[in-house]
Amino acid sequence: MLTITEAAKQKIQSVMESQGRPDDGLRLAIVGRRASSFQYSLGLVEQGQEAADDMVFDAGEFKVFMDANSVENLEGVTIDYVEDIQGSGFKIDNPNPIWSDPQHAAVQELFDTRINPNLASHGGHVELLDIKDDRVYVRLGGGCQGCGMVDVTLKHGITALIKEEFPDIQEVVDTTDHAQGTNPYYQPAKG
Amino acid sequence: MPRLLLLLPTRTYRAHDFMEAAGRLGVDVVVGSERKQALADQVPGRTLALDFRHLQDATDAIVEFAKIYPLDAVLAVDDDTAVLGAVASEALALPHNPIASVTATRNKHRLRMILAQAGLLSPPFSLFSIEDDATVIADQVPYPCVVKPLCLSASRGVIRANTPDEFAVAFDRLSRLLRTPEVVTRDDKLAKQILVEGYIPGTEVALEGLLVKGELTVLALFDKPDPLDGPFFEETLYITPSRLPESVQQDIAACTAQAARAIGLQEGPVHAELRVNDQGAWLIEMAARSIGGLCSRTLRFGTGLSLEELILLHATGADVGAYTRERHAAGVMMLPIPYGGILIGIRGQEAAKQVPGIEDLAITIPLGQEVVPLPEGAQYLGFLFARADTPEQVEIALRDAHRCLRFTIDPK
Repeated sequence: MLTITEAAKQKIQSVMESQGRPDDGLRLAIVGRRASSFQYSLGLVEQGQEAADDMVFDAGEFKVFMDANSVENLEGVTIDYVEDIQGSGFKIDNPNPIWSDPQHAAVQELFDTRINPNLASHGGHVELLDIKDDRVYVRLGGGCQGCGMVDVTLKHGITALIKEEFPDIQEVVDTTDHAQGTNPYYQPAKG
Repeated sequence: MPRLLLLLPTRTYRAHDFMEAAGRLGVDVVVGSERKQALADQVPGRTLALDFRHLQDATDAIVEFAKIYPLDAVLAVDDDTAVLGAVASEALALPHNPIASVTATRNKHRLRMILAQAGLLSPPFSLFSIEDDATVIADQVPYPCVVKPLCLSASRGVIRANTPDEFAVAFDRLSRLLRTPEVVTRDDKLAKQILVEGYIPGTEVALEGLLVKGELTVLALFDKPDPLDGPFFEETLYITPSRLPESVQQDIAACTAQAARAIGLQEGPVHAELRVNDQGAWLIEMAARSIGGLCSRTLRFGTGLSLEELILLHATGADVGAYTRERHAAGVMMLPIPYGGILIGIRGQEAAKQVPGIEDLAITIPLGQEVVPLPEGAQYLGFLFARADTPEQVEIALRDAHRCLRFTIDPK
């Protein structure tokens, strides 16, 4: 179900050795969806420290622990390591659609075409996390996280647009931890 | 559904609470800010970019907007938009405070003159230019005295001086602050002057009120248990209800009402700072807006209404006379900034939140950013909120929770 190219394996083993962690495994999870692509978390994990419900894939030289909530969307994924004149890094090729549900896909399209390009002007972005019971769950990041005007962006921008395009949606739920924002676009100040 | 224009500067602390309140009440709010919102082009009619520095241009823009989207009220939430709120309301023939009255609250010297003329207790005061030689005018002022900017809020730039030498240092320090671009762009005329007034000893309180047809309703009276003797006046604890004797509280309310009448304020929220001593109640400041920062989160009215809901209801014509503050005591601590530098860590947040009576902790400066103490600082480090049966319990909870917090600040 998962393919790791020889180049990727060599790089992962090289990282493990350079960090003195040759017995570690690789943990892979999908942490978001943006601009028509999945966002991944890829890192080393000490064996036994993986999540209890992680799915384990034996890559031969090391094990890969896949986040249980991500497994469905990791089917058929290929992890490669590329080096070219533009730089080097892991490349993850994922054949799965960003969203299989048409409404999720349509809301994602709205985010990608009308919302995020404009939020980018403030260094911000919004991710679609899920849609359940006519509620859209989102997470804001970048300049939007902790921004003093995020309520205006959320209510008079994101929510208004979603409700305009999808009248059945009752609510947009912001799950962002705004206290962790490190670079909010607008910061409040005394008069 | 009434439509209300909320004048929200992009640097306000008040956006979240007013937007939440509007959502709960079902008020159709349009947000007017000095910068264009990121999604403004995608959602027309919900936000409006206004040049707060040019009243006529901003008013014209509001009037044009109202031709397409009729407005039932214009509400300014901060000092920076108070005058525009009055001017725009007048242009739209909506209920509002007299423009001259709101303008007076934005100029501490003008305010001081009105209060003195009205016979309220007033310290001696004088107006100077930031170009004046502090060593020369040091002989012209009473001691102890306080130097103040005309237009800044929340104790910014306010410094006590006990001697001519201290005065010269304080005056020069405030002059430098008033020359910074951030202050000059706010109001270049007012930033050229400094008010010097006699220091008023005594206990300081804050009064949150609502004016309806010129009549003041006291929504809350906050004690400030930490001494505010200078040289800087960093506010920390606000606790309500007041523990002052009832007769003193009545004097404070009467003084505030008299001041509002003298200034000419008629409608909407007022926030007043007063000192009380053997001579009576002295009005220090009055603003035609509600309490600043996140402090309003201490207040609940009726069956749980927020201060912002109360203000929005009043602005849209509802009778709010029946709402009174809850029975519980409540308070907030504006977290003191120990010294300037880069905020690199905060420990003890969970322990602080676990202190009995503590409702919430909000840190309002992101890690990695600069914290600047008074008199120059323009940002709150954060807020602790508590609620309990008595003001004493609230004060203990806030102090205990604050002791749990450890801020790591890297001096620059």
